[in-house]
Amino acid sequence: MKLLILRSFLSMNKEYKVLNFFTFKNRFCRFAIVLICLLWFNFATADEHEVVDEGEFPEVILPPIEVKEGDGLPQVLPDDLEWITNLDDPEFASPDAIRGGTFRTWILGYPLTLRTVGPDSNGSFAGFLRPIQFGPTSFHPMTRRPIPMLATHWAFGEDGRSIFYRINPLARWSDGEPVTADDFVFTIQFMRSQQIVAPWYNNYYTERIRDVKKYDDHTYAVQGSHAKPRDELISDLGFRPYPDHFHRMSNNWPMEYNWKPDPTTGPYHVGGFDKGKSVELHRTKDWWADDLKYMRNRFNPEIIHIKVIRDMNSAWQHFLSGELDSFNVTRPKYWHEKANADAFKRGYINKYWFYTKLPVPSAGLSLNSAHKLLSDRNVRIGLAHSINIDLLIETVLKGDYERLPTFQLGYAHYDNTNIEERSFDLASAHKYFVEAGFSEVGRDGIRIRKNGDGTTDRLSFEITYGNDNDTERLVVLVQEAKKAGVELELDLQDSSASFKKMQEKKHQIAWLTWASGGLSPTYWEFFHSVNANKDQTNNVTNTAIPEMDELIMQYRYSTDLDERIELAHTLEQMVHDHAVIIPTYQVPYTRDAAWRWIELPEWLGVETTGTLFNSMHYSGGMFSSGGLFWINEEKKQETLAAREKGDTFEPIVIKDETYR
Amino acid sequence: MIKLDPQTVKQWKRFCSIKRGYWSALVLVTLLVLSCFAELYVNNRALIVSYEGNWYFPTYNWSIIPGSKFGLGDYYISETNYRELQQKFKEEDEGNWVLMPLVPYGPQETDVANILIGPSLETKHYLGTYTSGRDVLAALVYGFRTAMAFALILLVCTYIAGICIGCLMGYWGGVFDLLFQRLIEIWNTVPFLYVIMIVASVLSRSFWMLLGVMVFFGWTAMTWNMRTSTYKEKAREYVSAASALGASNTRIIGSHILPNTISVIVTFIPFSIAGGIAALTALDYLGFGLPPDQASWGNLLKIGTAHLESGWIVSSVTLALIMVLLMVTYVGEAIREAFDPKKFSFYE
Repeated sequence: MKLLILRSFLSMNKEYKVLNFFTFKNRFCRFAIVLICLLWFNFATADEHEVVDEGEFPEVILPPIEVKEGDGLPQVLPDDLEWITNLDDPEFASPDAIRGGTFRTWILGYPLTLRTVGPDSNGSFAGFLRPIQFGPTSFHPMTRRPIPMLATHWAFGEDGRSIFYRINPLARWSDGEPVTADDFVFTIQFMRSQQIVAPWYNNYYTERIRDVKKYDDHTYAVQGSHAKPRDELISDLGFRPYPDHFHRMSNNWPMEYNWKPDPTTGPYHVGGFDKGKSVELHRTKDWWADDLKYMRNRFNPEIIHIKVIRDMNSAWQHFLSGELDSFNVTRPKYWHEKANADAFKRGYINKYWFYTKLPVPSAGLSLNSAHKLLSDRNVRIGLAHSINIDLLIETVLKGDYERLPTFQLGYAHYDNTNIEERSFDLASAHKYFVEAGFSEVGRDGIRIRKNGDGTTDRLSFEITYGNDNDTERLVVLVQEAKKAGVELELDLQDSSASFKKMQEKKHQIAWLTWASGGLSPTYWEFFHSVNANKDQTNNVTNTAIPEMDELIMQYRYSTDLDERIELAHTLEQMVHDHAVIIPTYQVPYTRDAAWRWIELPEWLGVETTGTLFNSMHYSGGMFSSGGLFWINEEKKQETLAAREKGDTFEPIVIKDETYR
Repeated sequence: MIKLDPQTVKQWKRFCSIKRGYWSALVLVTLLVLSCFAELYVNNRALIVSYEGNWYFPTYNWSIIPGSKFGLGDYYISETNYRELQQKFKEEDEGNWVLMPLVPYGPQETDVANILIGPSLETKHYLGTYTSGRDVLAALVYGFRTAMAFALILLVCTYIAGICIGCLMGYWGGVFDLLFQRLIEIWNTVPFLYVIMIVASVLSRSFWMLLGVMVFFGWTAMTWNMRTSTYKEKAREYVSAASALGASNTRIIGSHILPNTISVIVTFIPFSIAGGIAALTALDYLGFGLPPDQASWGNLLKIGTAHLESGWIVSSVTLALIMVLLMVTYVGEAIREAFDPKKFSFYE
């Protein structure tokens, strides 16, 4: 082979026919060589990975928890602790629920691992794997107060940053082992270890959680980095335990545990998987929490079958043919157009429109205040009056979405409801633009400003965004903005490239939606000056206002709920006054479709329901609101028989505005 | 009066006698010429506005005419919406009038009152609208112009580079030939689609950026054919004769070799055009093509396949694409036939 390569490179033959012949042959040979090399390399590396010789990776004993100076929990359990529990809030599951059946749902891609930490573990399948592990507490989905999960009682330390927990003696892992305080201690050692290859978790569990101590088998305590209001502390320190008895730590841990699912404390565990095709979650037999208040009558299906369908349209077809039980149809296109198929008209599939009060994702246009023109507040306000969100909602979004008045919303008392959004108004836009010096209009209808030094500025901006589906929304805004003399150019990039551009602050205007969660709005990452004009931070507006910084830090470290609420109101008002963000729209509801054999409680859901047919105990947020539906096998047979015969039922479309 | 080479006349006659190709060429050229003046019949700008005794012709105006000029309010600084103006003048009935083009919609324009409606005479969306209420017919017409312009410019650029380098490779041979052969081989193995993706993620997408990348990787195709033909021609006696008479290399290549290899070039042209249109449409469809708000066939195809329930989108663009590519191929077929050396070549 070597000879051939040499010959082809040295072929100085002038006869082009001969030359051509060699070129062809040599090309082919080179291709073959590369192929062989690749295959060989592949086999070599595959061997390395697949054969796990335990001797090669000796067990690593994790070091005990090191406590930083100034941190540390008391050596002995204090006597004066006030143990709290909460069994007074209402139950929200239906006593009519029927246990059993298989709930069939889908996912876009097959998970790359069944671990919940380490490389590739942050995919969408984590949305199933995380909620099937319980923490010591959770939050009631209606009262938003803490409720017991693995712990029966909890108590706050006098330092304002630690919590003591009593573990429910009934609590068991799905393999039958009891849950003990050792599991929680192990979790911190585990999360701090290098073996899990998860720097973010390493850092989080070192910086945010400072100490964990076992007092007896069923009592432990956690200490955080600084004092906080109690609910915040509960959500910060109530981490989910990892099973101490199950993990053998070694430098090969990510490989060894890639397809070895952890035993769980929640209602389901991974019961089986067909690589590349599906994963099944099985309900744990004699689950320890079956009869607990807040847990009974929930998580009714015996099996949750998660099928991999790599395309949404194709998943929709699966749903219509009855191979999936439910489908989220929140998008206008699905609710109005697609969800009118025959199966809907014949009453086989029901439609539900359910309003909720969850934190709203912060969707909006983030203006980069470091940009030459956008550094002027008048330009920013003028721009806010030139963006016609209402028209967009009315037309392209079919009136389904609602205008978002503030950057962050949906945190109950924290919401500042006095702020009124800036609406599309040419007169106001004109006023602010003129104040900024843009009083003239160029030949193309775009405002210009003649500067003293002879240069001219055009009121033209680039909008960076990362989802082609949004183009149809943006073109409407572009056309409307022209009316105010503003030119908007669309800068579509792929989603990761666009987000990178925003994080590097190279954008002018970012069309961006931040996921929301937690119990209260956050300001530090978005508006504090330490994050401004810096690479890889979330302050994409480059906001840097000293007064605001002060309030943000005060808000961050305040432990007084009332003070925090007041500060949040002030900060939200400042964000509005500063006009660096033009909030766009919110979707304060979920819309779901399900075959009629999937039944819900009379009240459908609760105010913090993410989606109605969520089989897990929470979805996205921190409120334990899921798992309320059940499968009615009789109705299933009836429906399938009717479909066979062509019989129909009265179509059901429910719009529930209880929590609007 | 230009005197045509008798061989060219023969070839032209032969081309005309192949009816399928001839008519396709005729239709294509007509469409191309028509599309150059698309502003006159598919446009949101009026052809003529008569307002208070003055006539305005906004179509090819360098600057826009703001609505304030026609008494639509002081803040109306942007381009007049002539359809609304027409409506208003009709209602007022004060002798003002607006003459709109046949299709009164522009390709970038959104008509949000009519999103995803089917073909309708009433709204003058003759082929319906797609997302954001853009007119399908306008997108087809302007998309055709863009695609043809793209394919033609691409053709000229790649052919100039390809022919020059190919000719020199064949003519000079030796080390130059060898070097370029290896270079082109390496060039061909650069994964073109990845480069487009990388460039698209770094730079803002635009017509010229895309064209630049396509030319950068597309010029190699023509070199092989030109190299071969030049090799062949160079060995002929007329080249030696010219050389003996003291003709320069430029003259030999330009006046002697090139005209004799023209049939190779000409027969490739239609297929290159078809390739150019298909490449642009494919890249657009994949989302690496023209800017997202520009009307193009690939974009229309993408939106059409995502909205299959609005069948008029995907059917119009698919039909248009098939027709154009088919016609181009027919022309190519006819040209190949007409230039067939078995029929007309003569060797000295």
